[in-house]
Amino acid sequence: MSSVIVCHACDLAHRLDSLAAKARVRCVRCRAELYRTNDGSLDTVIALAATALVLFVLANVYPLVALTVNGSTRMTTLIGAARAFNEQGYGALAILVAFTAVAVPLTQILTLLYVLVALRLGRAAPGQKVLFRILTALRPWGMAEVFTLGAVVALVKLSAQAEVSPRVALMAYGLLMIAIAALTNATPGEQYWRWVSAHGPVPRRPATPRAVPRRGSEGRE
Amino acid sequence: MTGLVTGQSLGLLVCMRCRATVRAIGEEKSACPRCEAPLFVRRPYSLSTSAALVITAAVLYIPANVLPVMHTHEIFSDEDDTIMSGVISLAHQGSWPIALLVFFASIIVPLLKLVALGEILFAIWRGRVRHTAQRSRLFRIVEFVGRWSMLDVFALSLLASLVQIPSLATVQIRPGAFAFAGVVVLTLLAAQTFDERLLWDANTHD
Repeated sequence: MSSVIVCHACDLAHRLDSLAAKARVRCVRCRAELYRTNDGSLDTVIALAATALVLFVLANVYPLVALTVNGSTRMTTLIGAARAFNEQGYGALAILVAFTAVAVPLTQILTLLYVLVALRLGRAAPGQKVLFRILTALRPWGMAEVFTLGAVVALVKLSAQAEVSPRVALMAYGLLMIAIAALTNATPGEQYWRWVSAHGPVPRRPATPRAVPRRGSEGRE
Repeated sequence: MTGLVTGQSLGLLVCMRCRATVRAIGEEKSACPRCEAPLFVRRPYSLSTSAALVITAAVLYIPANVLPVMHTHEIFSDEDDTIMSGVISLAHQGSWPIALLVFFASIIVPLLKLVALGEILFAIWRGRVRHTAQRSRLFRIVEFVGRWSMLDVFALSLLASLVQIPSLATVQIRPGAFAFAGVVVLTLLAAQTFDERLLWDANTHD
């Protein structure tokens, strides 16, 4: 079976012959990744997502860093960092931090858990198409790794004048960063749809499906 | 580039969300059969939207670097810090690796993004055909490193939250932080709205 894949980054058409279960294909012209699947099982990814969820809870419940000056200790949490902006009148920055460091990672974890557990039980999760689009759109905005390094920078800055120490939530957040990276790597788009077509009632995708008219565009004539 | 066939010339579309290759039907608006995202030959208004975002970010880049991002109040001293003075004090403190990291993430990366995106958009606007592969590579680098500029925003949020001991020291946020975050977010949006295929279109004569 051979099918045509068009590069999303340079529009070059490629003919693909049969692909292995684990495959990675790059565009011959612009080197963009055209297609990637792994032979990982749903169970592995579900376990990874569950781990990430536990780490997420730990990272949010416990204090992130502590500052000790003259014997008194002050601690802050993940959401406390976002709230600091809000308390000083920078609500937009508070939302930006809460969105990129808290909301997006949580949405990624919960969405994947919901869809993949449903597939594991042999049914299609209602809304799995919308959720996939949300997941893809949010991906560039999840910044767990940047936040972790930002916390390190803050710790180093303060260490010159005060006694600072990382706390358990920062460890949890650092591990969460790794778990999310692994999760993202384990669920390339093509793999997601492969699971959907293998486990759900959606029929297998033909080589080059035809576009369907968008809802609401029929009555426009 | 002879012998290369584009999706457009074959009447094939790529879904920008799930990257399925789909046969186009007519002129009407259509949705991807796999994930139901809207389909288009090229992202509508990609060039003008990206350009508007880059220009706005370039304007904001000035207050982002000139205005202080935070103010440290201590018993005997008051100090304003800009992005650059933050890097310098890290270096003075002897934390060279961290100072270099912040210098790259906060000074070099935003500048690289503005210059690179500006050059790429200008080249497309003028219909430049040469060096497309290099520009494509440059865009991928910008896309990859762009998020790291948020580093200082996160560090700032922790400083402002932690250093609130009125008898000793407090950290206050200053408007420069808002401008800086604006540059980061707008350049991220500019990279996301940019349709990479525009780079290659001039190379394909059909």
